Amino acid sequence: MKSMRAVLVATLAIVGGLSACGGERLPPKALSDARDEFHRAKTGIAIQFDPTDVHEADLALQRANQAWGDDPDDPNTIDLAIVAQRKAQIAEAEAQTMKSQRDAEEAKRQLQELMSTQLLSARGQLNQTKQQLEAEQRAAAEQRQRLEDLERKLKDARDTIAKIAAVKDDERGMVITLQGEVLFSTGKWDLKAGAMAKLDQIAEVLVGKEQPMVVYGHTDNVGTHDMNMDLSQKRANAVRDYLVSRGIPQDLISAQGKGPDVPVSDNGSIEGRASNRRVEIVVQPKKS
Amino acid sequence: MVMRMAKVAIASVVLIACGASLPPPSDDWAAAQADVGRAQSGGAPSVPDAKLHLQLAQEDLQKSKDLMDKDNKRAASLVALARVEAQLALSLAKAASAQESAQQAQQDLQKAKGN
Repeated sequence: MKSMRAVLVATLAIVGGLSACGGERLPPKALSDARDEFHRAKTGIAIQFDPTDVHEADLALQRANQAWGDDPDDPNTIDLAIVAQRKAQIAEAEAQTMKSQRDAEEAKRQLQELMSTQLLSARGQLNQTKQQLEAEQRAAAEQRQRLEDLERKLKDARDTIAKIAAVKDDERGMVITLQGEVLFSTGKWDLKAGAMAKLDQIAEVLVGKEQPMVVYGHTDNVGTHDMNMDLSQKRANAVRDYLVSRGIPQDLISAQGKGPDVPVSDNGSIEGRASNRRVEIVVQPKKS
Repeated sequence: MVMRMAKVAIASVVLIACGASLPPPSDDWAAAQADVGRAQSGGAPSVPDAKLHLQLAQEDLQKSKDLMDKDNKRAASLVALARVEAQLALSLAKAASAQESAQQAQQDLQKAKGN
């Protein structure tokens, strides 16, 4: 390669020298190459991106053309032609650089845009998930609060009732037991004044709970079974009717006389018989 | 052999053509050397096209040096040639590097689009 251009230059110089006395001559190859290269620069991306260097190449080409016109045998003419060609090539290479830089910037810009879009979308999804989670947590907390409130109310109700009557839980629900002596006179089924005061308090607690309840009347085993059944039913009815009069919905409360059939104590003693004479209000769990 | 023939041919033509005495192009020569240095550090040796023109620049620079004070006009012409060869070498190296960066950026973009 080193010698290639030297040979080319020498050949042209020799040819130029030999034909110095001839008539119209063709321009040396270096000059026509320079013209071709300039034409490419002038019509390609070079003029679009790097007009300054194309102008430089234009000036160099004019000098080469001028030199060839002035003295075709001057070897510097060839150099000037090569200079012009190189300047056109420089313009093209510089333009290529600028175009590549612009392409790279455009690709980077698009990448940036794409990534921020993806980021935004991911952030949006994250927010949505977070909001859903918060809503679920809020709902769970509210549900927990409602349950706590309900439990507390039930406990309060139970505590209130426990002050005036015996309260226990069995498989039927909460059982409030009122002793017969407190509610009724012997053989009667109309409520005593004191009984009403107690039932008022019980009704007050149970109103609005919407829990179904059954009032059971119980007797001891003194007297006939039929008579006891009848008495216990009437007493249960009396309690039920009174509770209804205090606001317990009629369709939630029923009354049942059990007579002497469900004793809680031995009927052989006075105390045992007293225990067996009773009214039970069974508050069942709320139907849901 | 060929080189020597070429040199003889050039020298004979030059000797006939120019007799005018000019000062040696020392400043331009230094500038051309700086251009060669820039092309070398600008990556020209690792880009085939650029390497070729870098070699031509060095060759012209050497020839110019040899002619200094013998034929200053010719020496100046070769220095001018050396400068554009070196400048072209740098431009080509830059273009190759810029093109590589653009391809890389395009690849990055396509990869991101694929995700």
